[in-house]
Amino acid sequence: MSETILQLQGIYKNFGSVEAAKNISINVSKELFALLGPSGSGKTTMLRIIAGLETPDKGRVLINGRDVTNLPPYKRGIGMVFQDFLLFPHKTVKENIVFPLKMQGKDESTKEEQYQWVSQLVHLEGLDERFPYQLSGGQKQRVALARGLVSRPSVLLLDEPLANLDRELRKEMEIEIRRFQLELGIPFIYVTHNQEEALTMSDRMAIMRLGQLEQIGDKFELYHHPQTSFVASFLGSTNAMQGEIKAVDNGCIVVDWDGVSLRAPYKDDFKIGMTVDYFLKSEKITIHPPGQKPDDHGRTVIEGRLRDTIFKGQYADYLISLKNDNEIIVSDVPTISPALRNATVSISWPSEAPDVFPADGGLA
Amino acid sequence: MNAVNPGRKLALAGQALLLILLYLFLYFPIFYIMYLSFVENTVWPFPPEYTLEHYINLLTLDNFHQGLVNSLIIGIGTGLLSTLFATMAAIGLLKYQSRWRGLLMIFYLAPLFVAHILIGISSLIFNKAILGLPGNLLSAIIANATYATAFAFLVIVAQLARYDWRLDDVAMVFGATPAKTFREVTLPNIWPAIFGGFFVGFILAFNNLEISFYNLGAIPTLPTIAWGTLRHGIKPELYALASIVNAFIFLILIILYFLLKMGFLKLDIKDR
Ligand SMILES: Nc1ncnc2c1ncn2[C@@H]1O[C@H](COP(=O)(O)OP(=O)(O)OP(=O)(O)O)[C@@H](O)[C@H]1O
Ligand SMILES: [Mg+2]
Repeated sequence: MSETILQLQGIYKNFGSVEAAKNISINVSKELFALLGPSGSGKTTMLRIIAGLETPDKGRVLINGRDVTNLPPYKRGIGMVFQDFLLFPHKTVKENIVFPLKMQGKDESTKEEQYQWVSQLVHLEGLDERFPYQLSGGQKQRVALARGLVSRPSVLLLDEPLANLDRELRKEMEIEIRRFQLELGIPFIYVTHNQEEALTMSDRMAIMRLGQLEQIGDKFELYHHPQTSFVASFLGSTNAMQGEIKAVDNGCIVVDWDGVSLRAPYKDDFKIGMTVDYFLKSEKITIHPPGQKPDDHGRTVIEGRLRDTIFKGQYADYLISLKNDNEIIVSDVPTISPALRNATVSISWPSEAPDVFPADGGLA
Repeated sequence: MNAVNPGRKLALAGQALLLILLYLFLYFPIFYIMYLSFVENTVWPFPPEYTLEHYINLLTLDNFHQGLVNSLIIGIGTGLLSTLFATMAAIGLLKYQSRWRGLLMIFYLAPLFVAHILIGISSLIFNKAILGLPGNLLSAIIANATYATAFAFLVIVAQLARYDWRLDDVAMVFGATPAKTFREVTLPNIWPAIFGGFFVGFILAFNNLEISFYNLGAIPTLPTIAWGTLRHGIKPELYALASIVNAFIFLILIILYFLLKMGFLKLDIKDR
């Protein structure tokens, strides 16, 4: 990994009794870094602290090794794309975009040059003289991006930049933003509460909850090896189960979930009798057609009733009712005929598929 | 929607009646005075014989010019002073929200409920005895600004509530100092509101009789001249004066209306 541009060191921030940031430390290099978390988890607060709009109670912010914690926002040289666009309503597209250059006292030819460069980058040709109220949502988004990038900032912060766009446009902009980051080679810090967006676009990501970082790292690492219950349940389409460890056998534990036995790898802190949360991503489960019983060596195998099939095109979600009255969602290739509704089927998954944590880890 | 709705019909009829009453007793007398100001015989002006005599008499009245100038000075001075204070108060209240907001609001608006004659007498006595200010135009401006600030605040705060203060944050992140932020972003968006506040302050002080009267003594303003001439019976020049003042204020209100409409057209950023 290349050198670190932005560093957050032990950031704390309280608003009255609300802990909006609690011991946050992050290093970001020239990458697309996603900050993912539910509403109110402190994502915007984190960006505002980086931008200088909020002063942390404790901790430091460093940009290119320089401590900027006590620098006002207008001296930080950061670019930002705000939630709800926040274009200046009284300025034209061009005036909006060159605003950062104007504030830096750049001369006309520099302004013109940078403007041409950025309006080509984000495809804004021909809109120069329009006012924000004359733009579509997608165009406003591009203007907001152009304004964030025009001065070639050392870091670009993006606060849910696509939240107000429809699905089609969002897909398109996700790819564009990714392209800008690769082209400019500066850190993008991308805040979202949409996990799909975070997983699609980012190199690395962090998951926040209640002002704290739950886990930080490579997106595959977070997806496949979550370190907390929250991360395990938050990412992907996850079946959450809970049960008691009944036995330890051959490097595996056997969990009793309302009368159904589930297998998982043994970990050091597991003891017989302990209650654990057992998370299983729906695509890690295989569904077997009626009559086929898989080999249960090293796998968990359960029988259930195929209650419904939700066909999604490339895959299907199968809703399986179990004999303990619980339900499991399986995402698999759509090979089972929908006509088999209510048939008895087997589902199975390898022992290492689930993520298991002692139950007091706490779910949101 | 209900086709037959007796409640709605009653409400409509009630509103019509209300408006008729308001116009009959408020605007009709004003238009009648304007009409009188242009006719020869003001006692029974039907059928009318039109004349500009009353206007000519008014313009040649001794202290009319002086009164007009003084009224303008008081109006503009009070307008500026109260707008400055009211704008600062409104920004302080709206941009830097605190839990004292409601209480502060009450304090800013409280002067609305003090009788003008009380402001006039008490500020005269207090300004002279404690602050050593003689009764002059300046002390009249200051006294008028006390309640005019409250009115201007009411007007400004109502309109600034629509301004998105996050735009100020945006400007700062992009390199604008607080002063530049105000000049480049805040002011261009809120000036119609400030303008509205100024005119309210101006009109109130321009028209004010009680406060100016006590603070000015013998120095004339248009309202004190009007009041003075009243003592010798209602003269036709008074109709001319009232008409001029009214026409002037209507004109300002019309200009203001269009300015506000234009100024706020662009402010609606949520509008897709
Ligand atoms: N200026 C403030 N005053 C008081 N509380 C605040 C302030 N700003 C944020 N908070 C609180 O801090 C917490 C974190 O807020 P923040 O806006 O950072 O969340 P977020 O993760 O961006 O949420 P969302 O996804 O809804 O935008 C919330 O509980 C919020 O109410
Ligand atoms: Mg937010």
